[in-house]
Amino acid sequence: MTWRDGSLLLLLMLPWLAALWIGAGLLTGRRQGEAWERSTARIALWAVGLSWVGVLGVDVWAWWVGMPGHRVLATWFESGSVTVTISLLLDAPALVMATLAGAGSWVTLRFSVDYMHREAGFHRFFAVLCLFAGGMLWIAVAGNVLLTFVGWEVAGLSSYLLISYARERAVAAENATRAFVTNRFGDAGLLFSMAMALTGVGTLEWPPLFQSLALPRNPPVPLLVLGLMIAALAKSAQVPFFAWISRALEGPTPSSAVFYGALMAHAGAFLMIRIEPLLWRTPFLMGLLLLFGLLTAVLAAAIARVQTDVKSALIFSTQAQLGLIFFECGAGQFELALWHLSAHASWRLYQFLLAPSYLHLGGMAMRPVPGWLARSHTLYDLVLHRGWFDAVTDALMTRPTLALARDARLFEEVVVNRVAGRPMRESVLASRAEWDDPEALLAPQVATVTQGRGLFGRLLEGVARYLHWFEERLVLNSSGDGLLKAVAFLGDYLERIEASLGQPRYLILLIVLTFLVIL
Amino acid sequence: MKPLLLLLLLPVFGAALIALLSERWARGMAILSSLVTLLMAFWVTGQFALWREGPQLLEKTLWRPQSGSYFALGVDGLSLPMVLLATLLTFVAILASGGVEKRIKLYHLLLLLLETAMLGVFMAQDWSIFYWELTLLPLFFLINTFGGQRRNQAALNFVLYTMGGSVFMLIGLLLAYDASQFHSFFMSEMAAGLRDVAREHQILIFLGFLIGFGVKMPIFPLHGWLPLAHVEAPSPVSMLLSGALLKMGSYGLIRAALMLPDAVVALQGFLAALAFINLIHGGVLAWRQSDLKRMVAYSSVSHMGVVLLGIATLNQDGITGAMFQMVSHGLTAAIMFLMIGMLYERTHTRDIRDYGSLTHVAPRLAFFAALAFMASVGIPGSAGFIAELHVMIATLDRWGWPAAGMSIAMLVSAAYAVRTTGCLCTGPERSALGELAPMRRMELTAAGLLAISIVALGLVPAPLLALMQASLVRFGDLFAGRL
Repeated sequence: MTWRDGSLLLLLMLPWLAALWIGAGLLTGRRQGEAWERSTARIALWAVGLSWVGVLGVDVWAWWVGMPGHRVLATWFESGSVTVTISLLLDAPALVMATLAGAGSWVTLRFSVDYMHREAGFHRFFAVLCLFAGGMLWIAVAGNVLLTFVGWEVAGLSSYLLISYARERAVAAENATRAFVTNRFGDAGLLFSMAMALTGVGTLEWPPLFQSLALPRNPPVPLLVLGLMIAALAKSAQVPFFAWISRALEGPTPSSAVFYGALMAHAGAFLMIRIEPLLWRTPFLMGLLLLFGLLTAVLAAAIARVQTDVKSALIFSTQAQLGLIFFECGAGQFELALWHLSAHASWRLYQFLLAPSYLHLGGMAMRPVPGWLARSHTLYDLVLHRGWFDAVTDALMTRPTLALARDARLFEEVVVNRVAGRPMRESVLASRAEWDDPEALLAPQVATVTQGRGLFGRLLEGVARYLHWFEERLVLNSSGDGLLKAVAFLGDYLERIEASLGQPRYLILLIVLTFLVIL
Repeated sequence: MKPLLLLLLLPVFGAALIALLSERWARGMAILSSLVTLLMAFWVTGQFALWREGPQLLEKTLWRPQSGSYFALGVDGLSLPMVLLATLLTFVAILASGGVEKRIKLYHLLLLLLETAMLGVFMAQDWSIFYWELTLLPLFFLINTFGGQRRNQAALNFVLYTMGGSVFMLIGLLLAYDASQFHSFFMSEMAAGLRDVAREHQILIFLGFLIGFGVKMPIFPLHGWLPLAHVEAPSPVSMLLSGALLKMGSYGLIRAALMLPDAVVALQGFLAALAFINLIHGGVLAWRQSDLKRMVAYSSVSHMGVVLLGIATLNQDGITGAMFQMVSHGLTAAIMFLMIGMLYERTHTRDIRDYGSLTHVAPRLAFFAALAFMASVGIPGSAGFIAELHVMIATLDRWGWPAAGMSIAMLVSAAYAVRTTGCLCTGPERSALGELAPMRRMELTAAGLLAISIVALGLVPAPLLALMQASLVRFGDLFAGRL
């Protein structure tokens, strides 16, 4: 690794190091309260700012010298024939996305310094936002699927943490869980793609994956692209993962801006642009992209018309634009999609950050529902219920899962508990209940110690009883008291012989005997 | 300079100084002396060449020319871990002896003498000085003077049992001396001399050794002395008894196996069967006890079964596991007795049913007690895991499905360890316990040293494995052709 690669790696890791630093302070309880706000803000701003400057430096380098392309910095780990590296793929889409990510994160952080002032979770918010900034950067510059996945997961996790920012509110927690679980579908797709890449092509690096398509009849490749596509559709809240994003606005406004307005929602679209060479080989899947993009765009645009609050209206128009970007990808206009992505992300960030002030800016009356929408009851219903995506998900996924869990619990109670034995009385919960009971405090835990519960416990108890009897009777008794008794008995006996030997007549007899032997 | 002789005599110097100085200095002197011995043992480890097999740092003086016996000290991959274990445990035991109030001078003097006697056994390279009768004297007085209510019976019982075993060992040794063509007690010479002896003869000799070492180890049904002695001895002595002195039996057994390979191969199935009985019998009885000390004593029987099983597999994995288990059981048994000793000192009860909610009353005690019992199950991250894994693999390799017997024993050990932890740490607060004094600094150091060693060996077993490697390879090679 040259010093240039090393310093670039360090710069890209800076946001995560900042998150770690702020998080450690939070964990030890030192970093809290208003007094520390300046310090936290400064750490976060410097870390993300320096990363951004680093990316800008690479931009300038790319301008003057040429695209750095695919660079392997180090080996992460090896296992069998699989080698995973820490590598960067610095081409045009990556640099555009990374520059955008750095800028968007920094601007949002700067905005939040004032916006979040005196909030109880100030430090937590900044730590998570730094985490997110790092995740977005790595999605952009990752040179292999695994690193993309790492960034992807970190971004998803920080989104979860910020949706449930107001963790004392049940709605926030539920929405966060829902958004996270939907996102996990996409993650499953990405994991699946990684498996396909490893088994089918034997590498996780992007460039060899792009070229491997030249191989004829490589069956895992359409599956690989499908997995990536599912991930992208889920992240960008396209049909059929339409519903989660509108629930995700529960977090503080700056986080909504940077996650769902500007950066994270665009990560899916970026992934499609990133795998352009792969998509060209699977025209059918491109057709699907076209379809889903169009559906999302139309549906979201219509839904946006009937929203009555600023943030919801903004998020649905964001979704509509994202749908268009996917449509462009499906149509093969990847460069246009990249332009569209950059312009839209920047503009939407500005709009979202401005959202809390719209009422103050004033003078803008709400536009009425357009006539064509108001006239059709079915259409209006559909739009008002946001396409019933939540209801459909509930019916198809949530309820069957819950039913399965209920059945499993029933099985647990009826069969497993009987066989395994009920939990001990001395469990923590029971002890809380006994806390105030004075009799329980005095009574010893009678007979609970050597009593088995459940099938195995009963068996053990029986065996133990038998072995105990054996041990007491045969081993300890014969050795403990028995051995001593034997020794005592022998001692008595010998003493008697000794005593008789001491008497003169036996001594004389002995002497006589000796003489007899000698003679 | 003779480093091993110095190591052997350091505790004796300490004991002599204690005898001369006043009562006030006894404890400090004992701690200092055992610490110096421990450091000396580490220094010896530093001098040890890892990849050379056979005894190193050998100090050999002709002792009795008529019988061909030498005063020979040396360390190899089998004995060096035991030397380290014995010195570490003595140091920890002395640290933990702050509760002894009467006859402090005698107590510490005896502990140091016991250390010398143990080191003598582990470093001996000649069978004529491989004599653990020397450990009996200090132990007898320690148990008899400082023990619990039935101490007299326990001490006498212990001595009688061990002496009885020693008689058989002595007979075996004399038979071996007689059969060997070199007529020497020097270990490697005797082993070379026995190589061509007929198998039946070897078996007879080995049986003598087996009874002798079997009492010490202990092997079922020769374990009758163990519960009583462990329960009645003061806790620091129980630590040494279970942690280091039981290892003399298994260590001797490995030495005997190296000397009489044909006999061991012939008796392999028998040894394995004994090991399985040990495992299950000890484990189930440990589960049956409500007396904490008695429980740990029986768990020792079960854990030494792992050692015996490892030896009985007669391959390199198995013996690696056996040696590792000797070290890891030394540490875990010691920390268990240490914790029980501390609890007993504060509550004057060893009945598990009197305890509860230690996490509220004495969180540090609860932490170390929980760690000790979890380590005794051999959860991953503790030294026992590495040992049991090795033995498990070797057993599966050698016998296939009967290895399941070992998993059953592990399940049983998990059952009593989890139950004990639950009873100690959770549940209602027992008013009988009252206010528990927090751990003293010495006790914290002692428990911390053991806990760190257990976890360190569990996470980074490589250094210890490297230390033993050369000797274990030799063991594996010796039997590879004979099975």
